[in-house]
Amino acid sequence: MSTIDLTPVARPANAEPWKRKDRSMVVAAGLAATVPALITALVTAALGWDPSVTVMAIFLPLQLVAAGIVGVRAYGKRGIAEASLIVVTLLLTALVAALLLSVLWSVISAGAQTLSWTFLSQNNVYISPTTSLEYGGVGHSIIGTVLIVGLTTIVTVPFGIAIAVYLTETRGKARGAIRILIQAMSGLPSVVAGLFVYSALIASGITQYAGWAGSLALLPLMLPTVARIAEEALRLVPAEYRNGALALGAPAYRAFLQVTLPAAKTGIITAVLLGIARIIGETAPLLLTTFAANNTSFNLFSGSMSSLPTYLYQYISNGNDTSTQRAWGAALVVLILVGILFTVARVFGRAKKATSKSLTKANNARKAN
Amino acid sequence: MAQSQSTPNASAPASGARRQLATKPFSRADKLFYRASSVAAYIAVSIVGLILVFLLMRAWPALQRQGINFVLGSTWDASPDKVIFQIGPMLWGSLLISLVGLFFAVPMALAVAYFIEFMANKVVAKVATVLIDLLAALPSVVIGLWGMVVFSPIAAHWAQLLNQSFGWLPFFANDTENFIGSPFIAGWIVAVMIVPIIASVSREIFSQIDRDLINGSLALGAGKASTFFRVILPTSGGGVVGGILLGLGRALGETVAIFFVLNLVFDINWGDIVAPKGGSVASMILAKFGEATAEELNALMASGLVLFIVTLLVNWLAAYVVAKAQPWRK
Repeated sequence: MSTIDLTPVARPANAEPWKRKDRSMVVAAGLAATVPALITALVTAALGWDPSVTVMAIFLPLQLVAAGIVGVRAYGKRGIAEASLIVVTLLLTALVAALLLSVLWSVISAGAQTLSWTFLSQNNVYISPTTSLEYGGVGHSIIGTVLIVGLTTIVTVPFGIAIAVYLTETRGKARGAIRILIQAMSGLPSVVAGLFVYSALIASGITQYAGWAGSLALLPLMLPTVARIAEEALRLVPAEYRNGALALGAPAYRAFLQVTLPAAKTGIITAVLLGIARIIGETAPLLLTTFAANNTSFNLFSGSMSSLPTYLYQYISNGNDTSTQRAWGAALVVLILVGILFTVARVFGRAKKATSKSLTKANNARKAN
Repeated sequence: MAQSQSTPNASAPASGARRQLATKPFSRADKLFYRASSVAAYIAVSIVGLILVFLLMRAWPALQRQGINFVLGSTWDASPDKVIFQIGPMLWGSLLISLVGLFFAVPMALAVAYFIEFMANKVVAKVATVLIDLLAALPSVVIGLWGMVVFSPIAAHWAQLLNQSFGWLPFFANDTENFIGSPFIAGWIVAVMIVPIIASVSREIFSQIDRDLINGSLALGAGKASTFFRVILPTSGGGVVGGILLGLGRALGETVAIFFVLNLVFDINWGDIVAPKGGSVASMILAKFGEATAEELNALMASGLVLFIVTLLVNWLAAYVVAKAQPWRK
């Protein structure tokens, strides 16, 4: 007959993980986060090695080992995998951030040198690739972009909202298929949209290069964005609103126009703004349909037109320093436009959240009564 | 109402059939409203159809002359005595660049999604989300300018390092001194453009995972790493794959950014990714369009058609997979 051994066993190293945040762990973690970077920086500076080499060959292994040691101390063996996951995730995220910041910084720092009132207001007539930056600018391209994108927006927004209505308000049989098709359309290569309009309108002789052809080429690119985000916005409107309106005797179109649409207003505005942001920098379709021009043109319906992306394209291709400077300036203008659209969309997005919060608050108050 | 009360027999014969409770629009305005919305939806479908029809119409002469060799052969000659247009190298180049792009973009995008969803605190996560959205909204021509002026020299340096240390590997071979204009650089540029797409889809899917699954896994003693690889990834696999396919679709159709960083050569580059020659259907269309002869234009239309069909298939598959991965969203 065996007796039960009642002598206490040693506690496993990883018991009670919540109590293990002692001082030494914090210090170890801090060391593990800084020492590899310091060693790498020292080696790079002292030996004059290439930073891309030292980061890959010294920093990465050192950091993995250091994090692994801390991981083992904190959690035992499985800490190695955990520490590696954290190190790799942070490194890759930092890489993405570095790439993004590099793009933003290059555009802003190089573009700021070009930007001036002259650059924003003058057009490209009599400007050769080597003309100094005191003359000529993107004025005509800004006008062209506003007109072309504006026409696209006027056509696409009601169209996109109608599709969103079909997807959310009706019980049409093809909803699933159309939703998937709209998703698939969002990946339409922009050059194909340009080729389509070129073959349908320009090659068949219906029109020459013209602004409205460009607007038409941008339509299939903007439509999926508007339709999808508008659909999300309409879906967020509670069914009670619609049903309430219908129960009060409103016809469906009035229920939509006077109840659902106002309730989804902020979401719809976001859809429009993000749709514009999607197409404002599209180059390939405009090159094939509006081409480029040097003079200021307000006429969307005949004659080629300049737009910011095509201006940018023209001057990148030129290749000498002044041209590249102009390209950076135009890039900054595009970036600022996108930034404005984005900020406004964010502000509206926040307003939407505020109202939904106040709605729930009102609901809760009503329930309490 | 009154009528049905006075004649109860009227409903008797239909007792076997189920009553229909569906409402139908009856006023003229409502009918118009519903009709207009479905017409809009069908016009969207027909746009895709129209693109196919018009491109096919213009492309037919080129396709007829070359047959299947249009996508397999690798000669592009517009001189009037022997007109041959074949896009094999460009098609393969598009694929190669997209694969290189995915190779870099998928780990970065998954890391960003994991960071935003599971590691960062609220403020950092919000800022990171905005930045990723901003990256998605950067026009490709701006990325192209950055890629040509700023990034190409850096990436060429990386490519040179890879060539020096791993040159014995077949895909890091390069028999020229030049490292600018390689599929490696174009792949990086494509990666910059598709990271936000894959990241935002994956983040969306990660955020919809039932938290109880993750908490359960942690409570059972699994670490974060095993939770990620054995719970999060399998649960969200479909959506992540869909996001990757969406990225692939975008990569295949990328035009302007690649145009500025890639050296287009009509000679198949099977896999020497750091060698300065590559191809891309979309960029080739842009490059050749300006001075195209009438026959060349037909061939460009045919290239556009091929590109359109390929991307449509990839995107359709992606949208289907993403929709399948979110069954709760009807």
